[in-house]
Amino acid sequence: MIAILRPHSWDFPLFLHVFGAMVLFGAILATTTLSFVGWRVPALARSTFWALLAAAIPAWIAMRIGAQWAYSKEHHQLFEKDPTWIGVGFIVADLGALILLLATGFAVWWQRSQKAVAGRVVSGLAVLYLILLVVAWLAMSGKWGS
Amino acid sequence: MSTYDWLLMLHVTGAFLFLGGGAAAGILNLRAWHAERPSEVALLLQLIARVAVPAIGIGSVTSLVLGIWLVHHAGYSYGTFWVWAAIVLWVVAGALGARGGRHQTKAGVEAARLAGAGDTMTAELRALVRDPVGNALSYGSGLTLLLILILMIWKPGQ
Repeated sequence: MIAILRPHSWDFPLFLHVFGAMVLFGAILATTTLSFVGWRVPALARSTFWALLAAAIPAWIAMRIGAQWAYSKEHHQLFEKDPTWIGVGFIVADLGALILLLATGFAVWWQRSQKAVAGRVVSGLAVLYLILLVVAWLAMSGKWGS
Repeated sequence: MSTYDWLLMLHVTGAFLFLGGGAAAGILNLRAWHAERPSEVALLLQLIARVAVPAIGIGSVTSLVLGIWLVHHAGYSYGTFWVWAAIVLWVVAGALGARGGRHQTKAGVEAARLAGAGDTMTAELRALVRDPVGNALSYGSGLTLLLILILMIWKPGQ
């Protein structure tokens, strides 16, 4: 019902948040795929790095700015105490920054050294972040704990 | 959770798969532009077909079906601009994506052929991968998805 009651001044921050999150999901899906196939085809290490650097990180920035902007407009008017879905969103967003930076670092190492272990770490981090993103969108769209 | 929350959650899940799958396809397509060997182009285009396209397919159907259910449940009217415009754009996005996909399939077939015959990049394959018509159709489909998201959030005519 929030969508029905929401004032139009909240629309752009929400759009930025949702659009960033959707592109971020797509970028992590591409990263996961590229990193797993890259175990057999080392040339894909470079594509994995670029998917993270040029797509996932900018999308994360858009998602996080949108989230903070929307939160600053909504939370005083809608909640006395942050519900579960807001907490899940913040945890996944902020933990996601760490995972993204680690994955990008390992992707650089993988691209330069061609060491298989670096590729496997990137795959593991990408799968972990993909799962966290799914949990976050389910929590936030289902308004868990409201 | 209320029925509305359940429907919205599943509708949004469909939208994430639809738009996220489109973004993944775009990223893999851009990497194919920069690939140095036909085998790499063939692999990247195969990944679009095996990972991104199923996500887009499942997401498009889920978002439409659950979206129509939400229209009934929340008491929106089909005559409202953002509702009918989103359905029209959903059809347009599907048509553009399908036509763009045919161009990519053609490039994939040529890349696989060259990969088995010395794996040397040719100007023809490069031109097929960077074909302006095929890419305009595919990226036009992505832009249409963005317009649907704008309609869903701003709800013009509401």
